[in-house]
Amino acid sequence: MIEASNIRAGYGDGPDILQDISMTASAREIVTILGPNGCGKSTLLKTVAGFVRPRGGAIRINGEGAETVPIHEKVRHYGVGYVPQTDNVFRTMTVTENLLMGARDLSRDTRNERFEALMTQYPTLANKRRRKASALSGGERQILSLARALMAGPRILLLDEPSAGLSPAMMHDVFEAIGRIRDAQDMCILMVEQNAYEALSISDRAYVLSLGKVALTARSADLLNDPAMERLYLGGDPDA
Amino acid sequence: MSDFLIHVSAVACLYGILALALNLQMGLSGLVNFGLIALFGCGTYGAAFAHLWGWPPLAGLALGLVFAALLGLFFARLGDRMSEDYWGIATLSLAEIMRLVFTNEQGLAGGAQGVSGLPVTFAALPADTAALARLALYAALLVVAFVICQRIARSGFGLSLKLMREEPQLARALGYDLARSRRIVMVVSSLMAAVSGFLYAHYLTFVGPEQLMSHETFLIWSMVIIGGIANNWGVVAGAILMQFALAYVPFVKDWFDVPSDFVAATRLIIVGGGILAFLIWRPKGIFPERIGGSHV
Ligand SMILES: Nc1ncnc2c1ncn2[C@@H]1O[C@H](COP(=O)(O)OP(=O)(O)OP(=O)(O)O)[C@@H](O)[C@H]1O
Ligand SMILES: [Mg+2]
Repeated sequence: MIEASNIRAGYGDGPDILQDISMTASAREIVTILGPNGCGKSTLLKTVAGFVRPRGGAIRINGEGAETVPIHEKVRHYGVGYVPQTDNVFRTMTVTENLLMGARDLSRDTRNERFEALMTQYPTLANKRRRKASALSGGERQILSLARALMAGPRILLLDEPSAGLSPAMMHDVFEAIGRIRDAQDMCILMVEQNAYEALSISDRAYVLSLGKVALTARSADLLNDPAMERLYLGGDPDA
Repeated sequence: MSDFLIHVSAVACLYGILALALNLQMGLSGLVNFGLIALFGCGTYGAAFAHLWGWPPLAGLALGLVFAALLGLFFARLGDRMSEDYWGIATLSLAEIMRLVFTNEQGLAGGAQGVSGLPVTFAALPADTAALARLALYAALLVVAFVICQRIARSGFGLSLKLMREEPQLARALGYDLARSRRIVMVVSSLMAAVSGFLYAHYLTFVGPEQLMSHETFLIWSMVIIGGIANNWGVVAGAILMQFALAYVPFVKDWFDVPSDFVAATRLIIVGGGILAFLIWRPKGIFPERIGGSHV
């Protein structure tokens, strides 16, 4: 469970990118973060993950103060898995190695079991398991990155645009998989997305950011059905 | 074996240890250290101070190792605060500061004159035997350093170093504590460099600030780049190759009867030109890093 309250954050001595953001995400819940380019979605995710230290406000994970806990400790302590928007694979390592990197603290048996399960689930990766990650397409890297996060069996998953660069069919698969792991593993999933319709249709709640502030928060279903919201934040309904 | 060949081989072994240390930092971990020579200097000056204060030579080794560990830790801490490129400049500056302090402080280990008259290793043996014994000692330590580096490269810890080199943000996101990895690798490699410096001091029997010139760092860089970045076999081969190439320059001068300036210029050309040529035509060196071998 993530609770962020009144978060202010930015980079170096630059301006506040996030200004007074409050949000929550619980176990067995998918929370989507929407908003225009550059509004601070990735920054919010990085702040929750622990790459960016907040200048003000509080981040509590499972009830514990976690503002200053660095990412590598959050991974071990709270089972945080983070899938970055860019630079998401180790290029000189093979697909298999990339996946195994995600499971450093697991027993050999659990690791192999999860590895095989993911190979069955993502045949694209299975077919290229001995290839170097640099030889994968953008969408394949995206899937590899997601699969690697799943290897560790995270309890909290932070996804930065997991569907970026995926074909419609693949995107559908990935969102379906994300919905499934929420239900099967009681996971708390915080996801930044541009494909608002697809994302809202699997998620429970959404926050719409604008210029570093929460412009709107609503249940995903309500947001999907609200024509005003569509025009304002989602760029109109393609079926209208 | 001729005395000269023994001499060149002995020095090549000491450079080999340095090249392995730089390879742990730069090759394996992506820590671009332009101040390696300062860590070597911890070893030479450890020997120098022990000699000045009348301590036994091995106390000088301990002193050098302590200096090196502290300086290595300091380098690592700097790395927590700045990006890689700035870190490279910072290490170069620190090494230069160290050299300038030793050059200008007359009261500190003889200033620019340095310290001479250190006991040569194995002084008690007859000269010929001593030379061979030194070579054997250095070669044995080179093997030890090599084995340590190989074990690190193949361990889970070595893997975290490679991940740090490749994609540090991502490595952190997978739970790797990179600040800790950097501290450990800096201390281990600094100790290796200091051992090399200590032995060098008791080989030349002299310690002075001109041994800490930054071109010495770049000579070691050339060994790593030419031999093969992140390949331990490669960097040892690079060290031996470069050391022999440089050692035989004076002979070439004699054969072709060219002026003495030629020697210094040619050394620079071999080091600088070697780095440049390899970076352009064979950036992975003679023995490229082996990748794809699973480490888990
Ligand atoms: N490492 C950084 N250093 C300095 N400024 C940054 C950094 N990363 C992002 N920013 C700035 O922070 C602001 C928000 O960036 P962020 O990446 O959070 O946006 P985003 O909402 O994720 O955008 P997108 O939809 O394009 O991914 C931008 O103005 C950007 O220029
Ligand atoms: Mg973003």
